[in-house]
Amino acid sequence: MNRPVQDHEILSAVFAKMDVVGMAVAAGVLCALLLFLATATLLLQSVPEGSLIGPHLGALGDYLPGYEVTWAGALFGGFYGFLIGAAGGFTAAVYWNLTHYVALGFMLISSAELAD
Amino acid sequence: MENYQNMPATDKNAHAVNLRLLNAAIRFNALILGFTAGTLAAFIVYFATQISMGKWGDNSGGYLSLLAIFFPGYSVTSSGAWVGAFWAFIYAGTFSALSYRLYGRVLGTRIADILLSTAPAENPVLKPSVLRLHGVSLGAAIGTMSALCLFFSTTWLVVRGTAGESVHAALFANYIPGYSVSILGALWGAVVLFLMVFLACLLLASVYNKIVESRYQ
Repeated sequence: MNRPVQDHEILSAVFAKMDVVGMAVAAGVLCALLLFLATATLLLQSVPEGSLIGPHLGALGDYLPGYEVTWAGALFGGFYGFLIGAAGGFTAAVYWNLTHYVALGFMLISSAELAD
Repeated sequence: MENYQNMPATDKNAHAVNLRLLNAAIRFNALILGFTAGTLAAFIVYFATQISMGKWGDNSGGYLSLLAIFFPGYSVTSSGAWVGAFWAFIYAGTFSALSYRLYGRVLGTRIADILLSTAPAENPVLKPSVLRLHGVSLGAAIGTMSALCLFFSTTWLVVRGTAGESVHAALFANYIPGYSVSILGALWGAVVLFLMVFLACLLLASVYNKIVESRYQ
């Protein structure tokens, strides 16, 4: 981009809203991949015979039914990761947009009081 | 449409824009993001503590209580939940606000490129455009902040003299080859973590932008 940025573009960027669906899906995909890879990484590491693999990560099974540090569990983890990431992304995007509206409301009220 | 993921990293328009407005814009959004992430983190720590107590009773807090290393006064109790929420707000709020400041700095005058449309809007405030993410700037900002967090939290464990007992922190070595609870390990871990977070941010921005473009164009 070789042109100077205009003031209205800066203002638009400040108050641009986050796409809720986009953020939910993107965060879901990222979390799914992270939890799958976190599980897979432990499974691919060599451990002494008879040792428990990933007891700390496996504790997630207390919250995520069916999850364990196995290849099947990694798939479960990917599924849960998507749900958790999507919920987090959705919440974050809604909250981000909402906070902007609230901040804008305060600014409008303040400017109206100043005008009076 | 310009491929904003591959935009040059240098900022050539620094003298051609209203820098005062740009800096104010970055400060405003940093504040908003800090508040947003801080309150979300506070809710998460508060409810995680309450759920842990509800589920495990007197045996609760096996892992959660480790937060007390970084959250002075925190414990897995009703009053500790409020202390945890306070510290979570401070840490997450600061992390996010500084991340946005860095994001804004790296993005600089290319801020207009994150908009879906740069055509003059009738009212950019009341009828906002849709935001896109700039993966490289996002990765640089969050990657840097994550790396600093890992470095300083590991250093704190070393300084307080509990590095040898920090078996949970040492588990990072499963994911960050070469990491250890030492200053050198923290430095190496910070570099690797930066790369990992950078790639994760590129993926996040790429998926998000693809969905936004397909939904609005």
